Amino acid sequence: MSRINTSLTRIVIFATLLVLSVSNLYPLLFMLLNSFKSRAAYQTSPFGLPDLRQLAWGNYVTMISQFKILNLFKNTLIISVFTILFLLIFGIIASYAFAKLNFMGKDILYFLIISSMFVPVQVTIIPIYMLFSRIHLVNTYWAVILTYLGMFLSETILLMTSAFRGIPDEMIEAAELDGAGYFDTLRYVIVPMGSPAIILCLIYYFIVTWNDLFTPMILLTDMDLRTVMVALASLISRYSGDPTLQFAGLVLAAIPAILVYAIFQNYIIKGIGEGSTR
Amino acid sequence: MKAFAGSNFRRTKAVQGILSILPTIVILIFIRFYPIAEAIYRSFTDWNGLYRNNWIGLQNYIDIFTNSPFWTLLRNSFVLLISVPLQIFIGLIVAVLLYEEVSGWRFFRAIVYVPQIISAVIIGYLFRIAFGLDGPVNLVLRNIGLQFLAGEWLGNSATALFVLVFCLTWFSVGWQAIVILGGMAKLSPSILESASLDGADFWQKTFLVIVPMIARTIEYGAIMSIVWTFTGTFAFIYSVTYGGPGYETSTIDYMIYTKFYQASANYGFATALAVILLVIILVLTFGEMTFTNKVSEWE
Repeated sequence: MSRINTSLTRIVIFATLLVLSVSNLYPLLFMLLNSFKSRAAYQTSPFGLPDLRQLAWGNYVTMISQFKILNLFKNTLIISVFTILFLLIFGIIASYAFAKLNFMGKDILYFLIISSMFVPVQVTIIPIYMLFSRIHLVNTYWAVILTYLGMFLSETILLMTSAFRGIPDEMIEAAELDGAGYFDTLRYVIVPMGSPAIILCLIYYFIVTWNDLFTPMILLTDMDLRTVMVALASLISRYSGDPTLQFAGLVLAAIPAILVYAIFQNYIIKGIGEGSTR
Repeated sequence: MKAFAGSNFRRTKAVQGILSILPTIVILIFIRFYPIAEAIYRSFTDWNGLYRNNWIGLQNYIDIFTNSPFWTLLRNSFVLLISVPLQIFIGLIVAVLLYEEVSGWRFFRAIVYVPQIISAVIIGYLFRIAFGLDGPVNLVLRNIGLQFLAGEWLGNSATALFVLVFCLTWFSVGWQAIVILGGMAKLSPSILESASLDGADFWQKTFLVIVPMIARTIEYGAIMSIVWTFTGTFAFIYSVTYGGPGYETSTIDYMIYTKFYQASANYGFATALAVILLVIILVLTFGEMTFTNKVSEWE
């Protein structure tokens, strides 16, 4: 009796999760299917499948040849890669210091750095814009990269410091007895032992920087330097635009983050579950 | 001799420590602390970013409170906060269901989080298309005989805000579910099993057994989402409604953006808005911290 009950419960749970998954995936499927339709076909049947004999590859061709979306990809990629690179370098050394080294003012500095995490970027963006325009950094990748470092370093340090605290002191002492210097300790003890936190930062901030709109929108106005999300935001703001073409652009722009998530989702789910990031 | 080596060693460590945090300190001074100080100072001026920079005292704040859409912006933020209990409620149910580990639960767990991976620009556009005048939602409503419900969703503030609440909830449920699932992972399975054996049904088990045990996790999820609703919704609002009609669906962070691009730039006014946003966030965060401390004193 109870057995039937449990298997029934399990079917109900399975069905509920299935419904939720469909609600999460359908909008993306809708966008993908309609990106292969002509504008007329979309307007007559938005819910239908695209005609397989005449898929409208033209939307994608236009996105690549006229909208130059690959150039926009390059801009976003440069910003993401350099942001993550500096975030990891500065984050790892600072977190090592906070977790394992003793120096004057450590606690107060840690508190100051972490509390700056709560300040939203909107508060600082106008002074940052003015500062950068004085030193001719507006409309350069560096403007966005530096602003991102200011926004994300404290969160990175919070996450990595708590991970590095879990590394036993004996391991570091043993390495030092073997003659390991500062960089050897980082390379052979801290980075390998702290790798889950480091990989989480790498993936998480790739997705965040790839998808962000506000900061690059303010700091990059040059058409050739815009990130893919800034360019798409201005494309979709034209109401008269062709929706199926816009779908094609959005599909292309969504792919990199989805790919990274598909490969590394275990790290992200684990990291979020342990209460690290929003 | 040995003592000397020891203090030397300690000094080397201290120097290494300070050098290690130096890059972070320099960046934060220039990109965080100096801009915060400047924003506060400029909020008392009529700064236009160039030469005009007169001290005008509290005039910007008086203008904001008496002669600007500020109260509309604040109302909109509070309406958008309706999304927080919704996402926690749905996220909680999803987490409890995932906890049962039915076949395929790892797959479902991965899918639940997917909206968080998609850019707000894309999600916002899909919601705008969906709720457009001839969009899919109206099409379905007309076809199932509910044409009286079909209308211009984004054309007036009440329904446009409803669409935004829906959009933010859809985006955030997965995050809440994963956070709550993370909190539940620390529970001992035997408590939940004994609750089931005692004949507690799903709702009793969820709200009377699980919720009290993961109250701290839910509180964390709630405060993070509340803060995020004040500071992180710009791209959603931009791509769903452009803050319109008028300022009817704008929030404070959205108005900072529009003030930034206005031809007659009044950055003093915009920085005063930014300072108000900062105060709201600080009150929320520190309020939550003292609340949490109080709770742990009671326990």
